[in-house]
Amino acid sequence: MKLAKHVKFREEKFGSVLFETRSEKVYTLNPTATAVVREIQSGSDEGSIPARLKARFHDSGGAIEREAAAFLAELRQKGLVED
Amino acid sequence: MATRASSPGIGSPVPVTTRAATESGDLGAPLYIAWQVTNECNLACLHCIEESGPGKAFHDELGDEQVFSVLAQALDLEVPYLSFSGGEPMVHPRFFDMVAYVCGRNGQLKIETNGHYLEPENCARLKQLGVKAVQVSLDGATRETFNRMRVRGDFDRTVEGVRNLHVAGVPIEINFSPTHFNVHEVAAAVDLAAELGAYSFYTGRTMYTGNAVKTWPKLAPSEEQYDAFFEALHRKTEEYRGRMRVHFHEIGLLEELRYRLRHPAALLIVLPNGLVKLINALPFVCGDLRRQTLGEIWARFQLAWQDPRVAKFVEDLAEDPRKTAALHQWVYL
Repeated sequence: MKLAKHVKFREEKFGSVLFETRSEKVYTLNPTATAVVREIQSGSDEGSIPARLKARFHDSGGAIEREAAAFLAELRQKGLVED
Repeated sequence: MATRASSPGIGSPVPVTTRAATESGDLGAPLYIAWQVTNECNLACLHCIEESGPGKAFHDELGDEQVFSVLAQALDLEVPYLSFSGGEPMVHPRFFDMVAYVCGRNGQLKIETNGHYLEPENCARLKQLGVKAVQVSLDGATRETFNRMRVRGDFDRTVEGVRNLHVAGVPIEINFSPTHFNVHEVAAAVDLAAELGAYSFYTGRTMYTGNAVKTWPKLAPSEEQYDAFFEALHRKTEEYRGRMRVHFHEIGLLEELRYRLRHPAALLIVLPNGLVKLINALPFVCGDLRRQTLGEIWARFQLAWQDPRVAKFVEDLAEDPRKTAALHQWVYL
């Protein structure tokens, strides 16, 4: 999985922005979503990302894991990532 | 811990020029730089907001070293999206070098052109360099209206240029400026854009500034014409949904500017001489790339929008919409 061809990512103080340049839409990302995109950019396997973030942030309740999984699904649904 | 966010991961999609783009925690850099690379143009269009034309290059346009320095700064700041316009950007002597530089550093670049230099070899080159899109101005669905509006321009050559883009595989956008004598063709122009393989069609009200100030009596559509124009666009939006996006702004300039006062866009307009404007529809200059870095200009961009002269100009527009005639009399903030 990688960011779609026309999607640009930039980190910001509040998290990050994704800019889909074909539709000229901007998405503002919170820190959790930003961490997911960093994992995508580093080449992590899609299925492993929620669990990796859970472990990294000691997410015993699983909130971050669920949030990351939902975000990955949303990225696909919006066409912001591709294989 | 930074990731303990409880809100959904992704915000609602918003156009680049809306509140969320600039107010989500102070962006570190612009999201979009719209660069008018030269004021020189091969055409002399009746409605040109930049008063471009043959021999109209500014005497103090940025030199090569300055141009590439600004491009380097933009890419160092990770500005994700740039556009080159003019004048006609393709007449700039370093046009392809500039395109190669931006694309070579993974910038997303749109070219806004009148389409008269889109020969097959140039289109192939744009494709090979990897431009994000080429936007071509096609103000009419017929030779008669197009050639009347685009003085020195040629409808057939423009259409041929768009076809060349399509053959080369370059994503195409079409831009349409309405006037009294072409506004009735907008539906046909949308159809033509789709037939030519465009993925987006852009239009909106023509602005009273630049060359349009002199030609306004012949140019301005009536409100009745605008009503029919927007009705056709709504219809075409539905007709082409999922195949080609039809973009248009129905609200007037005053409403747009009042919104921008509260929510400045994350956009810098760079003029051919390096001056940076707040927004095209205002005369205010907030920086000079010959003397300041892009980062320095961005750092005071929001503050510049809060200058009382900006709000006053916008409110004066409510009384006198023709104040836009003075957009080229720059006011330094």
